[in-house]
Amino acid sequence: MNLKTSAIIALVLTLIFITSWEFYWRSQGRVPTVDDDKYLFAASRAKVDKLTSDDIIIVGSSRVMFNIQLDEFEKLTGVKPIQLANVGSSPLPVFHDIVNNTDFKGTVIVGVTPGLFFSTTYPKASPIEWPQSRVDYFHKRTLSERFNHWLSIPLQENFVFIATHGEVLDDNVDLKTLLNNVEINNRTGRPRYPEFFEFGSVRRDRNVRMTVETSTDTVAANKIKKAWKFILGGENPPPDKNSTTAFFEQDAKTFKARGGKIIFVRSPSSGFFEQGEAMFLPRERFYDSLLTVVNSPGYHYQDYEQLKTIDCCPEWSHLSAENADTFTKELVKIMLNDNVLPTTKAD
Amino acid sequence: MLFNSLSFFVFLAIVLVLYYSPIFKWQQKKFMLLMASYLFYAMWNPPLVILLWISTMVDWTAGKKLAVLTDQKKRKLWLLLSLAVNLGFLGFFKYGDFLLENFTNLVNAIGINFEAKPMDIILPMGISFYTFQTMSYTIDMYNRKTERARTFLDFALYVTFFPQLVAGPIVRAKELVTQFYEPKKATMNQFLWGAFLLTIGLFQKVVMADTLLSSSADTVFGAKDILHATDAWMGTLAFSGQIFFDFAGYSTCAIGIALMLGIVLPDNFKYPYAAIGFSDLWKRWHISLSSWLRDYLYIPLGGNRHGIVRLYIALMLTMLLGGLWHGAAWTFVIWGALHGLYLVIERQFRGKVNVKTVGIQGILLALLTYTCVNITWVFFRAREFSTAKNMITSMFFMNDEGTKVLQTFEVIKVGVVITILFICHWIMRNTSMKEVSKKTSPVVLGVFWAILVFLILISQGSGEQFIYFQF
Repeated sequence: MNLKTSAIIALVLTLIFITSWEFYWRSQGRVPTVDDDKYLFAASRAKVDKLTSDDIIIVGSSRVMFNIQLDEFEKLTGVKPIQLANVGSSPLPVFHDIVNNTDFKGTVIVGVTPGLFFSTTYPKASPIEWPQSRVDYFHKRTLSERFNHWLSIPLQENFVFIATHGEVLDDNVDLKTLLNNVEINNRTGRPRYPEFFEFGSVRRDRNVRMTVETSTDTVAANKIKKAWKFILGGENPPPDKNSTTAFFEQDAKTFKARGGKIIFVRSPSSGFFEQGEAMFLPRERFYDSLLTVVNSPGYHYQDYEQLKTIDCCPEWSHLSAENADTFTKELVKIMLNDNVLPTTKAD
Repeated sequence: MLFNSLSFFVFLAIVLVLYYSPIFKWQQKKFMLLMASYLFYAMWNPPLVILLWISTMVDWTAGKKLAVLTDQKKRKLWLLLSLAVNLGFLGFFKYGDFLLENFTNLVNAIGINFEAKPMDIILPMGISFYTFQTMSYTIDMYNRKTERARTFLDFALYVTFFPQLVAGPIVRAKELVTQFYEPKKATMNQFLWGAFLLTIGLFQKVVMADTLLSSSADTVFGAKDILHATDAWMGTLAFSGQIFFDFAGYSTCAIGIALMLGIVLPDNFKYPYAAIGFSDLWKRWHISLSSWLRDYLYIPLGGNRHGIVRLYIALMLTMLLGGLWHGAAWTFVIWGALHGLYLVIERQFRGKVNVKTVGIQGILLALLTYTCVNITWVFFRAREFSTAKNMITSMFFMNDEGTKVLQTFEVIKVGVVITILFICHWIMRNTSMKEVSKKTSPVVLGVFWAILVFLILISQGSGEQFIYFQF
């Protein structure tokens, strides 16, 4: 048994196979991106324990992830916020964790996506369970998992074939997703979820920018719109304003009592989302009421000319990368003008 | 630390560099291996290394006393101390909540109002494996079947040796500790064969278990509805493949890694789904556990030395406890009971039926055995009896209508994978991977190896834990 020959052949062929595989996916327009999975969330959450009262944390849903660009924010304030928002999530579990499991007394920017913020407090509902699972993971992650993730980041940043997403998305390139995408016929009779792909590029600091494809190619944007319609077209429970507001208010009181500051941000939406939010979650009854109860400043895009004139949104819910830069700059300028943000920059 | 993780590969590379470094003497290398093994375990939960230390200290001391004492009473007391500590750990950490829950149910059933909060005890990874391994040492010492380990370092390394620490194979002292006495160094061929086995093991875990089979099994066993017969069968078959690839994958990795260090570990699986009958199955499935149960439970219970009734009782007790070893739940006890029952039935037919193990009859009998094994897997995988009951009734076509939860492609995928698995086991039934590799051209083996590595890399193992870690 000449294993030396076999090992050399295996090594050379593996390199050829994997290089070809990488080039194939790059030729399809794929670029490396970091997976915004529970490991990345936990790595960001871990930073909270070292923050001072001059630091800023962002919680919320995907809108505040796409629309607040951390680099632009840092340029104007000298402070780079810790991004702890999660896609498709209510901010309640993460804020609850910060209030109850840390001593942080800086500023928390709360992104308010009405359909998610006011959805529910029921622990098994997806907008709560999903971010809570990430919080729980942070508290029980092992040394091995931390080390493993730390090692994987440079690989995710440089190789398309490594850079898949924790959630099962149709555009992942791992073998399991490729096989899952094979459909012969619909034996179960269940409605098939519309094709959905990752339309944001994620960095290790969890900064998310919309991909060029989504902001310039209407076919791509329409696929996302179709998925939004499918999600919102199903039987969704009505919003639960009272319990969500009360839950947040309780934590906000504790947080403010120890010196913490809360700032609400309502990002723009358009089309299907704008109409739906206006109809089912009117600003006066939901967003304005929340601000009154919590008694904290809030920035609604409709209140500022420089924010409401920004072109929104290729897929109705998130800003393109360039517009997110503009949105961040204008928003931060307004906040600085109102003196609600800490800044390390000399005036 | 998981074998299917990046951190493990960094860890292994450092261990190998230090191990083959000419600046260290054998004693220092063994010390390095011991420290690496503690680190390997501590990377999961550092405080629980203390359990390993206690187990090591107690059994080292017990072994020392058992080697020198002649007074049988005192010797028995030292053995009992070793068993009490190891079984005490196992009882508290693994069965604490289960015992409390059953105690609560029992007193409630007799009319006493008693409520107890679950203790939510964390289950130390691999506790069932290392406690059984270290107990085998003291029991063998008591029975004077093995020599006392020469040094504490040798013994501590035997208890903690990282390749097989958390999921076996459960190795006897005379098989492993003696290998630590003399300097060990893998030959180039041994090293590469070890690397090849590591690849095979990772392929089994990452590609076969996690990528191809786990989601179908999870979908079926996670369904709340009464299922269509096809779905119930396919989910069960998927789980049968998943658990084999997951566990055999771990054992193959462990054997391969040890071999890269020049240490030989025994086989733990020998193509079990080609077994003909259940005695044959247990000579092929988790061999190190079944031989442990045979030597330290079945034979002490009387084995076949006291007539047929005692034999059946010994068989049933061994399998019931073997079931409970896998997990603190009654479903595992039923799994063990079914295997015990199968063994008893097989015993009754022994000598009365002429069984051919070759040709069509052999294949049909292997298929029959595999089918019966699948019935038991339902209880092993189901978290609740209601799920198991629904699955079994669906599998035996007792539900007229049932929900279809698997897509056509999933049904085909599971069918193809399991058919290939069964054929491979049948072909390999009386041979070994090494024998087949010897007859294969190096070029073909190299191409095969590259395909395995490529499939592992593109499967993107998300670091799923091995199923047997929880046992």
